[in-house]
Amino acid sequence: MSERQRRRSIFDLIKEYIEDVEALAEEFSEPTFAERPSWDVKSCCLEPLCSVFVAPDEVIVTADLPNINPDTIKVKPISADALEIRAEMKRKIRFDEFGITHRKGEFQFFRCQTGIPVRVDMDRIKTEFKRGILEVHLPREKGYRIKVE
Amino acid sequence: MTSNSGGTVLAEVVSIVEMKAVPSNAIMLNGLPDVGLVGLIATSHIISELKLTEIAYVDSDLLPPVVVLHEGLPHAPVRIFGNTDLVTSFSETAIPADAVQPLMRKLVEWAQSKNVKLVVAIGGMPVQNRQDIMEPKVFGAASNKSLLNLLSEKGIEILKGGYMVGPYALIMRYCAERNVPAIALLAESFYKYPDPEAAAATIREFNKISGLKIDLSKLTEKGEEIRLRARDVMKRTERELGRMKKTQEYDLPLYV
Repeated sequence: MSERQRRRSIFDLIKEYIEDVEALAEEFSEPTFAERPSWDVKSCCLEPLCSVFVAPDEVIVTADLPNINPDTIKVKPISADALEIRAEMKRKIRFDEFGITHRKGEFQFFRCQTGIPVRVDMDRIKTEFKRGILEVHLPREKGYRIKVE
Repeated sequence: MTSNSGGTVLAEVVSIVEMKAVPSNAIMLNGLPDVGLVGLIATSHIISELKLTEIAYVDSDLLPPVVVLHEGLPHAPVRIFGNTDLVTSFSETAIPADAVQPLMRKLVEWAQSKNVKLVVAIGGMPVQNRQDIMEPKVFGAASNKSLLNLLSEKGIEILKGGYMVGPYALIMRYCAERNVPAIALLAESFYKYPDPEAAAATIREFNKISGLKIDLSKLTEKGEEIRLRARDVMKRTERELGRMKKTQEYDLPLYV
């Protein structure tokens, strides 16, 4: 008998109902990033792990870029609120290196596009590549100030 | 059979199916997917370096309906490898947040039934400036005072306060409850990026504790390849860590 079936009280039922609603809300609000492949055979690209951190003065985007040639890293704005990171690998990677023989294709680039959640000054982007991690600093645009009396 | 906090007997939700003889009085490692996949990378390296063989697997409806193919044959994603002195859990898939408690409870119960002499949880401890750290420092936690003293004798700094969240946290708690000797070795690591250097740092400390001499050269050489291969497991693990409220480890506790 499942744990759920054993619960009898009305409070348990209400609690379960609230948990179900919360779980559904969480599922719908989550991005579907994990539900698509991290590779694209057509463009020969692998998608790197990437994250966006919003600090008080800047937005910091980082990407894990193993097996790349640092000279080939390109960071470019693709709109006012999105950024593309691209880099060429030192050597091509094939599916069979992952033990997968039923798919064909090889990958030569890392590429990802990421949204920037707040307004930033795309003309003042600074980048740094350190120990395999790319760090992109985007200064936040100043909004209006509220005078505190 | 296990019992919940109210004392009601529940059907077993996690079972460990043994395929080969399991040693008694072994050390048991645990490095299930967590921040930086530190424990997973470390245990994977140890399995390959010591040529540990599959001795058991975990069966549970709480795990995703996933089968891993190796050389065309199906395997359970969560398995136990070992030799006569060492056993280790190993997972090729992210552990769903809902499964962590029953799974860890079962692993500790199983360890006790096999008279494991020491449970060692290996993991990462996320730090913001990880890129700037050349040699990640390893911190320790233990299930009893004499093991805390052992960690100090080996030069490992003790985690004295704060929150622990996730698989290794539950190992420490359940081992302490059952009086099973346990330590945790946690290296400074990335949160969302696979961290082979942090994994190597934990193995260095594990060598000191266990007296083993696990070679790290292949792990160091293969660092980039591991980061490349581990992207998908890392992504799914990150999602489950969010569900576990892993960031509570950053919180400052309330001691009145």
